[in-house]
Amino acid sequence: MSSLSQILPGTGRGTSEAGGGGAPLGVSSVEAPLHPAATRRGPPPRAGEDLRAELPSTREESWRWGDPAAIVAAAELPRGVASDAGEWFLDLPGARAVFVDGVLDEARSDLRHVAIAQIDGGAHVLGRRTTGTGWSIRVEANAEAELFQIVHIATGGENQLPAEIMLADGASASVVETYVGAGWSNRSTRMTLGKGAKLTRAVRLLQTDGFVSLRDEVDIHAGASLIATVLGAGDAGTRIDGSIIVSGDDAFAEYGGALLTRNDQRQECAVSVRHAALNGQSKQIWRAVAADKSTASLAARVEVARDAQKTDGVQSLRGLLLQRTATVNLKPELEIFADDVKCAHGATVGELDQRALFYMQSRGIPHAKAQALLTRAFVGDAFVQIADETVREAFVADADAWLERAL
Amino acid sequence: MLKIENLHAEIDGKEILKGLSLTVNAGEVHAIMGPNGAGKSTLGYVLGGRPGYEVTAGSVTFDGVDLLELEAHERAAAGVFLGFQYPVEIPGVSNVQFLREALNAQRATRDEKPLSGGEFLKLARGQADLLGMDYDMLKRPVNVGFSGGEKKRNEMVQMGIVNPKFAILDETDSGLDIDALRVVGDGINRIMRAPDKAVLLITHYQRLLDYVEPDFVHVLADGRIVRSGGKELAQQLESEGYVGIAA
Repeated sequence: MSSLSQILPGTGRGTSEAGGGGAPLGVSSVEAPLHPAATRRGPPPRAGEDLRAELPSTREESWRWGDPAAIVAAAELPRGVASDAGEWFLDLPGARAVFVDGVLDEARSDLRHVAIAQIDGGAHVLGRRTTGTGWSIRVEANAEAELFQIVHIATGGENQLPAEIMLADGASASVVETYVGAGWSNRSTRMTLGKGAKLTRAVRLLQTDGFVSLRDEVDIHAGASLIATVLGAGDAGTRIDGSIIVSGDDAFAEYGGALLTRNDQRQECAVSVRHAALNGQSKQIWRAVAADKSTASLAARVEVARDAQKTDGVQSLRGLLLQRTATVNLKPELEIFADDVKCAHGATVGELDQRALFYMQSRGIPHAKAQALLTRAFVGDAFVQIADETVREAFVADADAWLERAL
Repeated sequence: MLKIENLHAEIDGKEILKGLSLTVNAGEVHAIMGPNGAGKSTLGYVLGGRPGYEVTAGSVTFDGVDLLELEAHERAAAGVFLGFQYPVEIPGVSNVQFLREALNAQRATRDEKPLSGGEFLKLARGQADLLGMDYDMLKRPVNVGFSGGEKKRNEMVQMGIVNPKFAILDETDSGLDIDALRVVGDGINRIMRAPDKAVLLITHYQRLLDYVEPDFVHVLADGRIVRSGGKELAQQLESEGYVGIAA
């Protein structure tokens, strides 16, 4: 990363003093994140050679299925016109924000408990690029924050946005994010869940072109619960980097979702859950569906530290190939140092059941519709943990819309 | 209603049907019996349009239409129902959803209006009741965790809901106990015994024919119909076996 000093000013950063959200609700009882802060900061480079040099190489194991060239190409997409955000908000009450190329659109936002603040994007190779102005939710002890919905509209080029969610003991919050448009949208979201806190997060990646990269860092304290679900159902490239640390006893982490790819698209996730305390539970349920010549890759890792006895981990990675020209890569990893642990894991790749397809056709369902029904059922496994019916239905509808295009 | 002439069909290059001819008129129930490997299930699959079965010669017309030209789902919409010997399990798709999609897809193919949710549920509930199937089973994923008998009963519920003109029932009696056999037999009679409908029952055994009385019985051996007769032929097969009769 020696080229940082040469980096040109960023093009997509939200530098405006977009406030309007009022002061954060929270108190500062939340401990500092475990992840070290970035040691070097600076605005992101323009696309091109500088950016290419900044990105990891596919020779690195954690990027072996990555697509840094697609990030560069996305960052070079010309800027265009922001699409309408209205249709992307779900019909749910709560705070709302529209970010256009990473910049808050105040006129279309209603921030309520959400603040705009200077936020550190962390040390991760992509996450640190976001350091700057971003959104922040801080919820005080035992308080329940309203739902926060965000629509991220990319119009081309690259845009960066950091975020933080800090829940004090017993607090709860819920966030739904939707990505639309085209360009490179790079995000870092750092989350700390105090004792007994509850966070649900749902992310819909629906950009029609470009690339979305998410870096999530979560620290889960005793008795707290995280339920995060990501759906990649657009036509952009995707990289989901997740680092979840279960640092307190009796805590729960569920992080999963579905990546649906078509044409020559590539989407991937690389998520690790580290159990560092007693009686932790984690679930990683991922589904990948790949059509045409696309590639979907799922790398999920569970680490159980020596002292994390009674950990109960579930890891299920399943891929579905809609054509034999498509690729699904799966990399389930378990690293267990404790001796009293239950970690179920499964990884399979297959095609649609031909017998089931014919059975459905014999009842009058056309072939494409039968494929869609079977594929939707396959993907649905990854959405069952979404408690809110409106959110879950939106995920199903997004997957259905993808199936309409892909089949 | 159905006219099969000199039908030859193969799978993976192996000829299974070797010149089969059969005519089924409206209002008739035909039973096809025969030893293992004779081509009984292949006949069902070829009529249903299962991929992988290649017709190399002959013709099949259904109500004057070339059935072999139709896609599998179009055959269903035209009124052909294939009851499976081994109904397939479909995790993640509920019976209700599956059947509503199926019925409305058939209606769409026939340029008919779809049934509303309420209309469909009333129809489905009525058919499940008639076949003694617990309504809760309709909400479960298709055939998942069903016993052999429940799967066959579910086939009959499906047949009742889509209400076909012509049903090909492939060993619908296998895996059924005596009580379930009676329920299924009654279901076939109730749904399909009508002057404008017809049934092709593929079976190994006489016992289903005690409940669904065939008008004609055919013996299929080595890809051809080698003998035809009335219902007494089934009794003769039951007592003498296929060896003498099929030879």
